[in-house]
Amino acid sequence: MEEILLKTESLSKSFSNGGDLQHVLKNIDLELYKGDFTVIMGASGAGKSTLLYALSGMDTPSLGRITFGDRVISELSTDGLAVFRREHCGFVFQQIYLIESMSVMDNVMAAGLLVSKDKRALVEKAEELFRAVDISQEIQRKFPAQLSGGEAQRVGMVRALINSPEILFADEPTGALNSKTGLDVLNTLTKFNEEGQSIVMVTHDVRSARRGNRILYLKDGVILGDCRLGRYVHGDEKRHKRLAAFLEEMGW
Amino acid sequence: MKRWGVLIGTGVLLVTELIVVVLLGLGDRFRIQDTVTVNEVLRSVEADWRDMGNHRSVRGAAYVVTDLGGNVLFRTREGLSESVNEGIAHRDTMLDIYAADEPVGKLIIWNEGAEALRAEKQRAAAVFAIGILLQGCVCGGYMLYLQRKVIRPFRGMKEFAERVAGGNLDVPLKMDRQNIFGAFTESFDIMRSELKKARLAEAEAKAEKKELVAKLSHDIKTPVASIRAASEVGLALSETCRQKEIYQSIIAKADQINALISNLFSAALEELSRLSVTPLDMDSRELRNMLENADYLHRAEIPECPGCLVYADQLRLQQVFDNIFANSYKYADTGIKVSFLKDARLISISIEDEGGGVKDEELPLIKEKFKRGSSVGNVEGAGLGLYLADYFMKEMQGELSVENGRLGLIVTVKICLSGMSGGVRI
Amino acid sequence: MEMRNVIKGWRHFWKKWGGSVKKSILFARSNIRRSRGQTAAVAVLTMIAAVMMNLWLMLSIDYKQNFELCHDRLNDGHVNLIAGCEEADFCNYLEEILREDPEVMEYCITNAIFTGGVFPYGTGEVSQNMVILEKETALSRKTGKFEIMEESGEKSGIYLPMLYGTGDNYSVGDTIEIAFNNEKIQFTICGFFNSAMTGSHNCGMLSLLLTEDKYREFAEKSSAAKAVYTSVRIKDQDCGERFDASLKNAISKKYPNVPVLSNYYEMITTSRYISQLICAGIMSAMAFFVLMIGVVVISSNVANYIQENMQNLGVLKAIGYTGGQLVFSLMIQFSGISAVAAAAGVGLSYYFFFPVNRMMIAQTGIPYQVKFLPQLFAVTVLCISGIVAAAVYLSAAKIRRIEPITAIRGGIATHDFKKDPLPLSKTSLPLNLALAMKTTFLGMKRNAAVCVTMLVLSLVLVFSTLMFENAIISIQPFVDLISGESADSAINVDAGIEDEFFAAMSGDSRVEKVYLFHKGAEVLHVGGVSLFAAVSDSYSRMNNPDLVISGRLPKYSNEMVIAAKYAKENELKIGDEIVIKAENGEQAFLIVGYCQISDYLGKDCMFTREGYERIGSLQNVTYYLNLEADVDIDEFNAQVTERFGGDVYSTFNFMSLMEGTGSVYVTLITVLVTAIVFLSLIIIVLCMYLLIRMLLNSKKREYGILKALGFTTRQLVMQTALSFMPSVILSTAVGIFLSTLIVNPLVTLFLSGLGIVKCSFSIPTDLNLAAGAGLVLFAFGAACMMSLRVKKIVPRELLGGDV
Repeated sequence: MEEILLKTESLSKSFSNGGDLQHVLKNIDLELYKGDFTVIMGASGAGKSTLLYALSGMDTPSLGRITFGDRVISELSTDGLAVFRREHCGFVFQQIYLIESMSVMDNVMAAGLLVSKDKRALVEKAEELFRAVDISQEIQRKFPAQLSGGEAQRVGMVRALINSPEILFADEPTGALNSKTGLDVLNTLTKFNEEGQSIVMVTHDVRSARRGNRILYLKDGVILGDCRLGRYVHGDEKRHKRLAAFLEEMGW
Repeated sequence: MKRWGVLIGTGVLLVTELIVVVLLGLGDRFRIQDTVTVNEVLRSVEADWRDMGNHRSVRGAAYVVTDLGGNVLFRTREGLSESVNEGIAHRDTMLDIYAADEPVGKLIIWNEGAEALRAEKQRAAAVFAIGILLQGCVCGGYMLYLQRKVIRPFRGMKEFAERVAGGNLDVPLKMDRQNIFGAFTESFDIMRSELKKARLAEAEAKAEKKELVAKLSHDIKTPVASIRAASEVGLALSETCRQKEIYQSIIAKADQINALISNLFSAALEELSRLSVTPLDMDSRELRNMLENADYLHRAEIPECPGCLVYADQLRLQQVFDNIFANSYKYADTGIKVSFLKDARLISISIEDEGGGVKDEELPLIKEKFKRGSSVGNVEGAGLGLYLADYFMKEMQGELSVENGRLGLIVTVKICLSGMSGGVRI
Repeated sequence: MEMRNVIKGWRHFWKKWGGSVKKSILFARSNIRRSRGQTAAVAVLTMIAAVMMNLWLMLSIDYKQNFELCHDRLNDGHVNLIAGCEEADFCNYLEEILREDPEVMEYCITNAIFTGGVFPYGTGEVSQNMVILEKETALSRKTGKFEIMEESGEKSGIYLPMLYGTGDNYSVGDTIEIAFNNEKIQFTICGFFNSAMTGSHNCGMLSLLLTEDKYREFAEKSSAAKAVYTSVRIKDQDCGERFDASLKNAISKKYPNVPVLSNYYEMITTSRYISQLICAGIMSAMAFFVLMIGVVVISSNVANYIQENMQNLGVLKAIGYTGGQLVFSLMIQFSGISAVAAAAGVGLSYYFFFPVNRMMIAQTGIPYQVKFLPQLFAVTVLCISGIVAAAVYLSAAKIRRIEPITAIRGGIATHDFKKDPLPLSKTSLPLNLALAMKTTFLGMKRNAAVCVTMLVLSLVLVFSTLMFENAIISIQPFVDLISGESADSAINVDAGIEDEFFAAMSGDSRVEKVYLFHKGAEVLHVGGVSLFAAVSDSYSRMNNPDLVISGRLPKYSNEMVIAAKYAKENELKIGDEIVIKAENGEQAFLIVGYCQISDYLGKDCMFTREGYERIGSLQNVTYYLNLEADVDIDEFNAQVTERFGGDVYSTFNFMSLMEGTGSVYVTLITVLVTAIVFLSLIIIVLCMYLLIRMLLNSKKREYGILKALGFTTRQLVMQTALSFMPSVILSTAVGIFLSTLIVNPLVTLFLSGLGIVKCSFSIPTDLNLAAGAGLVLFAFGAACMMSLRVKKIVPRELLGGDV
């Protein structure tokens, strides 16, 4: 029915914590589908970010397999993972993580030039994306420290999307923003999703979660619930109530 | 950094100029006649005296050779002094030329000091002009720099200061680290943030206080119990109804306090189980090591275990495996086959020997307390092993099952995967 | 009262500082623990500097003292003189002069034989004026003693200076064949002796001791001159040169025909310690350079430390530490490490000193016992830790200026918004290179440290290639520099057959070129000292075009060239006229140039033949000959000797002479060059390690982000290594260019003790370019190796502890 983008089998992740093994993810079997706006929710410490980073090839799982198409990415070397990330993934971070020593444009180009050698096409694409997220030419020449939080996060999104990734991973993209700029970011994400961009987003904010059409609830390293909502429609109270009910059941 | 650049630049320029001045002022290159060249000229002329027509001039010297009668025999170029008188006027060097110890002619060597001095003067003027020009550039550049970096930002600061004076503190302070006053402007911002920090610290302190109160309330329980006990004694000893009533009321209130506090801290301590099983998440690959540990006679072939996280008490599970292997050694004493099977919820470990198994009717009983199969013969045993193993596995939300296989007994240990003890999917 | 004040002052001081010393040590310890690798690298750098410095001090101070001790122990003369006459009236005259001179403390006159001799040494031979003494007589001398160092039971034979017993040259019981004026005699070696003033071929004359029977036999058989050997101790040892001149003057006044040869204290101290001089010079330069690199690296380390620990420093300041205390803790940290490392380095230098000592003894020929020298230890350790402390103090000045609040907020600008140096959207550079260049532009302090290091190392490299080209591949340039002119063969003949000889040689098909070059004629500079004249009638035909370093060679009879060293000491300029005296009178000569041939350690001068004959006459003349390529020099010399018989006084084979005396220097220079090249490579590795550690520490976050975006470890390693390349390449290029300009003056400095004032070795451009490229490549390789640490940066760290 739906095209599977990413699939995990018995995915586990453990960290050693002063000799004690701490199991953050436990036997996660999960399929992510193309075009979905998947939201991963859960209390803090539930393993949301770990799951996101394992899915995106930022980190290797301790146990289990992750397959992307017909490639088993959990078996790639660190450099192989780097190549996988640059070609197929985009990242938006809570702390944004722009490179301080590079201008806005260079931040985007540094990611873009990794994949494409066609500089002119890349600049055009970057400008198109900048327009889409409403970043002016003037801002493009600034350095990250001169940007406001909202601007920085929108630049972060442009950087994430410059290589047309199959999946956009977002780790609490609104976490460091105030509610208004956060809303801008969410709207932008929703817009990209509507244009077909698959997104996986970690959040613990219900307002952000509403944007997803699939909500995974994580608790103690296990997917406790998997809720399918329809596509986001602004002001759909019934949909909000379903989500609220789901979260209540999960013990949110 | 830039300030230093300018200072160092100016310093270097100054020192260079000083050096140039010293060199120009104290140089005495032209005061000394080059005696070596003069000697060479004189000697070569003396050597060539017989045939001055073929004399080759000495490089770097301008001179005229005359005989005693004043006739010019040789000149390096036109325009030199050609007689003793001209030579004296031009302060030239004049020497006698000897041949066979007889003076035969005059050598007049041109004094080049005057031309050299003029050239030197011109050079000095050029050097000074360049120096002045450079200095002008540096000064001009510095003025521009000051204008841009100091004076202009200062004007901006003035507006800001006016606004602050008017009490408007909400306007953000535009930070520009590029100018020298970057740090200065920043301190205003710091003031505000420091205030904020102080407020946060206050809130934290309040929270801590609350916690303290909660702790104290727990400590209240003990004195309340004493009060109650004392009151009971009082009740038993009291004679009047009135007194009894008061004591009863004290006891009731004490109970109430106790209940209230208990509500806060549910101190229901369960009796500790004799055999506590505390399952934890563990790496399934550890199972293989455990099986190998149990199989101390190395009878079994143990394959790799599929990787996942299982939910088990490692200590107890080891006991289970030890027991199964010990049983097999004791009763079957054959080779052992181990296999793993993983499904969505469980991982099953089948341990099969070739000892023929037990009678089918005994199978359900084998796990009971103090029950042993009939095939035990006279092997020592209490019949507790499999009972305990079964108990442990249940405690771990797993399962232990025994069945007869083709060759012998199959004991299957099913261990629950982590996070599989009940999930909800909508 | 005074005392109490002092105590009070100390207490106050302790109150103020004592506590903080403790705390400072605490901080220092935690800092060291946090950066073990960097600490180790700094320690190794300072240790290398300490090794060099201590070796230098030992060689330049104690080694020289060792000679003085040896000289005193043997009660050797400050002036030693051999005169080829043993008649009683001459001896009486000599004794009379010495007795009456108030300068003289004691003296000893012994009968001896004075002759020229040649014997094989190393791969070549030694050709020297020899003083042959009877063993027992020699040992019983009160002044100018000889001491036997090694001896066998052999009763009849020869004793050699112990220099020839070092290495694998001669040993007791061997047979040695010495040619005295073409008369070959074989001796059995009975042992080796030590003599301060005549114990090596660098002394102007070489002593040999014969047992009584051999001495008598030799004295009867040989045509060599019976002579007296005189050792004189004078009150002021620094006046040896003057005393020597006046003594010889006095002798030649009365006995103009007695051949006289002498040496004096100052001459021997320099000539016997040439290698030590060169070695010490190089060591001092290396110590200086290594220390300089260390200081630069430490300062950039400190700057980086401040940058990274800005917030901590702010907090410490906020809770009441003064800037001084914080700086002090850094000083304790670094100078403590370097003091320990320097102490270890001094220890290590003793280990290296043994082989160095062996090499030195092979040249000096004076035994030296290696022993621990506490004062040099103290100087090295104090000096190095002091310099390091000063460097830290200066580069940590920023700590004093930190405002605690600003620092806590991390508000000190770590990056000023300059114009983007290299916008990625515009540049045509490949991505990795462009990112590397960005790093380069944003790390000027780092670039400065790299530049200083590479500048110094290129100088070292150019010096090495220069030595390689001019001393190791072929010793010729080095010999030319020190001894001036050389050819294939030199033949000394009687003046009477000069014309016949010259005609024969000019006609000989085997001879490529023959010209007069007679050295060693002694003349007196009136108002100065004795000089040794070289005479030629055709300076234009010389093999070495660089005989004269300034001015020109003499052309006319009233012109002369003088040794640059002597001219400098006596303030003689080109164009000055000086009066020179020899046996036929005195004449004024015009100085037309400076030379630096150092056969007589800067007491050399040159005349035209015509010019020399104005004041003296040549009894015998030496002709230099260039032979055709395939002619055997020894055979040729033998044939010439046969043809002219007794009129040929001596023949020289320059090739074997060069190999003999030059091989010691070649070995020495080879070892030195290898050592310093090796050292340079270590230094590059250490520097790269320190700088890259610092870079990666400050770029941890940025590299984490880049890795998250999909940069591979390999790409980031390349980026890091490439970011060092502009400064490496630029400074190596500039360094090599500048070094080629200053390397000759530098060598001159090392050799200035030999009377060298201008050195013009040819600079091997190709080799330098190749070596420079090698240096750059090595630096790149080292940078890559060191940046492999990038591997440890994982994007996961971006999570910042959140799960």
